[in-house]
Amino acid sequence: MLTGFDPTQIEVIRHALVSVPEEMGAVLERTSFSPNIKERRDYSCAIFDDNAKLLAQAAHIPVHLGAMPMMMRAIEDRFQWRPGDVVVTNDPAAGGTHLPDITLVAPVFDKEADEVLMGFVASRAHHSDIGGLAPGSMPMATEAFQEGIVIPPVKLVREGVLTEELMDCVCRNTRTPEERRGDLSAQLAACATGVKRFQELVLKAGREEFRQMSEQLLAYSETVVRAAIGDIPDGKYSFTDSLDDDGFGSGAVNIQVRVDVIGHEMAFDFTGSPPQVKGMLNAPIAVTASACYYVVFCLSPPDIPINHGCLVPVTITAPEGTVVNAAFPAAIAGGNVETSQRIVDVILGAVSDAIPDRIPAASQGTMNNVSIGGYDLYRGREFAYYETVGGGAGASRANDGRSGVHTHMSNTQNTPVEALEFGCPLRVTEYSIRDGSGGRGRHSGGDGLVREIEFLTRATATVLSERREKGPWGADGGEPGAPGENWVIEGQGRSKMPGKFSVEASSGSRLRIETPGGGGWGRKAGTRRKA
Amino acid sequence: MDVGGTFTDFVAFRGDSLSVHKVPSTPSDQSEAFLRGLSDLRIGSADRIVHGSTVATNALLERKGPRCALVATKGFGDILEIGRQTRPHLYDLDVPRVEPLVAKPLRFEVDERVASDGSVLAELSEKDAAKVVALAVQAGAESLAVCLLFSFLRPEHERLVKKYAKDAFEFCTISSDILPEFREYERTATTVVNAYVGPVAGKFFARLSRRLRARRLPQPYVMQSNGGVISLRAAAREPVRTILSGPAGGIVAAQALAAEVGIEGIITFDMGGTSTDVALAAPECPITKEFEIAGVPVKVPMLDIHTVGAGGGSIAKMDAAGALKVGPESAGADPGPACYGTGDDVTVTDANLLLGRLRAESFLGGEMPLDQERARRRTGEFASRMGLSVEAAARGILRVANANVARALRRISVERGHDPRNFVLVAFGGCGPLHACELAEMLEMPAVMIPRYPGVLSAMGLAMSQIRREYSITLMVPSEGALPGVLRVLRRLRAKGAADFDAEEVAEADRDYQGVLDMRYVGQSHELEVPLRDRSPTSRRYIIDFHARHKGFFGYSRPGAPTEIVNVRLRTTGRVPTPKLPPAGAGRERPAQPMGEAEAFGPDGLLTCGLFDRARLEPGAQIAGPALILQADSTTWVPPRWSGSVDPYLSLVLHWN
Repeated sequence: MLTGFDPTQIEVIRHALVSVPEEMGAVLERTSFSPNIKERRDYSCAIFDDNAKLLAQAAHIPVHLGAMPMMMRAIEDRFQWRPGDVVVTNDPAAGGTHLPDITLVAPVFDKEADEVLMGFVASRAHHSDIGGLAPGSMPMATEAFQEGIVIPPVKLVREGVLTEELMDCVCRNTRTPEERRGDLSAQLAACATGVKRFQELVLKAGREEFRQMSEQLLAYSETVVRAAIGDIPDGKYSFTDSLDDDGFGSGAVNIQVRVDVIGHEMAFDFTGSPPQVKGMLNAPIAVTASACYYVVFCLSPPDIPINHGCLVPVTITAPEGTVVNAAFPAAIAGGNVETSQRIVDVILGAVSDAIPDRIPAASQGTMNNVSIGGYDLYRGREFAYYETVGGGAGASRANDGRSGVHTHMSNTQNTPVEALEFGCPLRVTEYSIRDGSGGRGRHSGGDGLVREIEFLTRATATVLSERREKGPWGADGGEPGAPGENWVIEGQGRSKMPGKFSVEASSGSRLRIETPGGGGWGRKAGTRRKA
Repeated sequence: MDVGGTFTDFVAFRGDSLSVHKVPSTPSDQSEAFLRGLSDLRIGSADRIVHGSTVATNALLERKGPRCALVATKGFGDILEIGRQTRPHLYDLDVPRVEPLVAKPLRFEVDERVASDGSVLAELSEKDAAKVVALAVQAGAESLAVCLLFSFLRPEHERLVKKYAKDAFEFCTISSDILPEFREYERTATTVVNAYVGPVAGKFFARLSRRLRARRLPQPYVMQSNGGVISLRAAAREPVRTILSGPAGGIVAAQALAAEVGIEGIITFDMGGTSTDVALAAPECPITKEFEIAGVPVKVPMLDIHTVGAGGGSIAKMDAAGALKVGPESAGADPGPACYGTGDDVTVTDANLLLGRLRAESFLGGEMPLDQERARRRTGEFASRMGLSVEAAARGILRVANANVARALRRISVERGHDPRNFVLVAFGGCGPLHACELAEMLEMPAVMIPRYPGVLSAMGLAMSQIRREYSITLMVPSEGALPGVLRVLRRLRAKGAADFDAEEVAEADRDYQGVLDMRYVGQSHELEVPLRDRSPTSRRYIIDFHARHKGFFGYSRPGAPTEIVNVRLRTTGRVPTPKLPPAGAGRERPAQPMGEAEAFGPDGLLTCGLFDRARLEPGAQIAGPALILQADSTTWVPPRWSGSVDPYLSLVLHWN
């Protein structure tokens, strides 16, 4: 029998606490303007106690996992918090993941005693443009300033009064100011709902009882995660895997990790990973932390309440100035979407030495980011379009990998072909499963996808993709998945493109993205074991 | 007549009298239970028979459909398998592949393409259409689904395939018939589901039809997921519309019972053995198109019902870290909860029994006495593993189950902008009345309503439902100046609606048509319904209405911003003679006579409660908690501080003070 919590209360407290960020999320989704938040659900909401400890998070996006607590710790002491305040930031130096992810934080005071701080609520959402070199703010950049406007933590609302000048300043620096205003207003509404619900909980339970409830849930989650880590044999496990290139000729960028499992605690050490690179593959520490926590949750039982307790048994070391802890003003747009995937791969690779039966082969390991923008002759307006393309999942000891899905750090929906063609001067000419791209093995890796898009007008297309040089690794003798391929097709000519590129496409030309297959599992009878 | 997993329920209205009956379901052929019930009730003639069917649902859930083939546009044959390219669980490293309803060898592509403006980029040839049908036949397909890109703008290519498929297949569905709306994955999935369950449902409906005709009974209506009925013939053609018909009946009846006594806003709470359905109606239950079953989106109109895995049979367990969890696994009916006598699992029903809220001797009207000793023994073992007393464990189990349901109730109310404090909780299903008052307290809802027959409310709702259909088509045009075009489309949809009314023999005077536009700001990806109120061709009323509705629904509007019309819908209602609930009269307010006393655990310990027989409670009868009200199909727990009385329709209305 474990101590620290009442066994019959855990589910009740969990429902009470997590309902706050979930209701914030419902408000955000309902009142936001852009498809990014509404349809792709690229947002997260969370609540914290008065010591900036995470109490509950409703997350659709794993990459926000570690980032939100880190941001809270970074800004908690910077302000004299007053009821009605809201702070805004996207600063990578304060728990930011990449510039399009903007976070709002509001303090929660006890309704009955205005001076008693009970905690915080926060909402983070991916905005479809935050300025910078290219529409969509995911450009081929070499420093953060090219990626958009950087907002250090500042009060957007002071004691209930919106600082209009600041709102104007942020929106004016983006390509779609009205949409930004709409989405930021939705985030404000979400925070207001969060504050209200949080206060209701405190009022209903009583201040002391509420604190005690929160501590019980944190103790419970910590117990669950410790038990899950305890199931992994003690040891020091290392693994290295590489990113193809930073888009500016860096060549392979090795990510290195050592995972130490000691009893019920786990330490991730990225010492040995290379200095930050010129292109946008650098990950802020918040991204690296999120990737580590993602793996911890994968190894824990399903449905565990996500809170500070889960994070206690985990430590992360990542030297500053490296690709896994980039120093400002390194370019970071791809750290969030690409490097995060490789960090997961190396951690899983390391842990598979300890628990080979529970860790699948590598999945596609990229999000295949495609941004297209230009002037839409047909509708007489600028257009900007961003999508990510799924690929093959790694096979496991028990199963074949799934085909054509988002894996690990992403789970956003595709844009329907018919919706895309209604909205943009683009035509999809193929969207299919890339047969045979999954790595062979006793269980085969999932197949990647083929997405081919025809430009109906002149446009700029930027692709950020990985696993174009070397396919995702197989496990237990399984073969690797096929690497992805990017093509530009003009008339009869086809040109194979690198993993990261930007191209001025002519009307009638096509962009073809073939995404990587997942690695296979186990040696297939009759095939020769690879070295 | 409503088919459930365990029982098939009957409600017969004869003049002012109402009879209620249950027979065991016959899963291999649902029509057997149907006929047995009619015989038991001695029904030799009827004005109208309404049927709630789970034939299509079961065929889909159990994957018992025939080999179904799919024809898609060249380059897009995998749409069904790719879906929205997401995975169901974020933190699961090992998600097994799910075989799509149509496997790769049965998916075919044809060389054709329509553009987003409806122009034809590649014409489908007669030869290719004939060839693809022949290939599907060769592959051994028994039914066929056809879904081509932008077919809602230009259905000719799909119709050409259908022309050849008609003779080759007993069942063929084309997407421009079943769901002529954009978003190709959802349209494909809906089309495939219809083709997949079609042959199974068709055979069943044909058998049922023959058997009823042999008894000289009228052809039945079938309940749809949208809370309206359609003819058996129409249901056989479009069985996908009946996928969620069971819970819809309960909501219709709950609305009617509430409306009779002047209650406008209700939240329904239907708790059965394995799961709980909740829905909100103020006064109508909203229609949603966001519904998934067995991982497949089905985008036909459905009442907006939320389901959680919490029921009487939900199993209590201790997780690895020592916390108590309840459900979603259920002990089912066999072996069932420990108190059923042979099972070992401790369930919500056991907890209710041990706390005195269920009476062992009067369960199911005394036909199935519960094994109190076994429940106590099993719960005792379970409790001691957690270091708890039997009573604390039982209370814990109820608390966790209620927390699950309360969360679902918040989802359909608070998360959608409604304050539950303005609603009455209508509780039904076998277990709803046991939990209703405590749930209402948790959500600060002022009142609870328990219908006279909580166990057969869905069946009752079937008889009260009107004919309802919806016709739609994607238009995707700028709103300004669009009305003449919209009206043309509406006239076309109306002709379809009129033809269906003719087939259902609905009189001209009983037909009602409502035009609705799905609109949005340019750049948004979600639509808002705007009823078309002014049909004069130059009216801009719908645009003004859109801004106002947007403000009401989402909290803001952008009056200067351009808007577009995405879909045009026509909702039709055919008024059919539905039975009025016979009021039992407005009796004098007076305290009800208890038939005895019993002990049950309240929030602060053991209490002596009045024991009442539901069958003897007449209008005006007053009851104050703590009390237990017994009836064959359910038990109502009235906690201390709750009291109320029986209304003219024999519903029990309880308040909290």
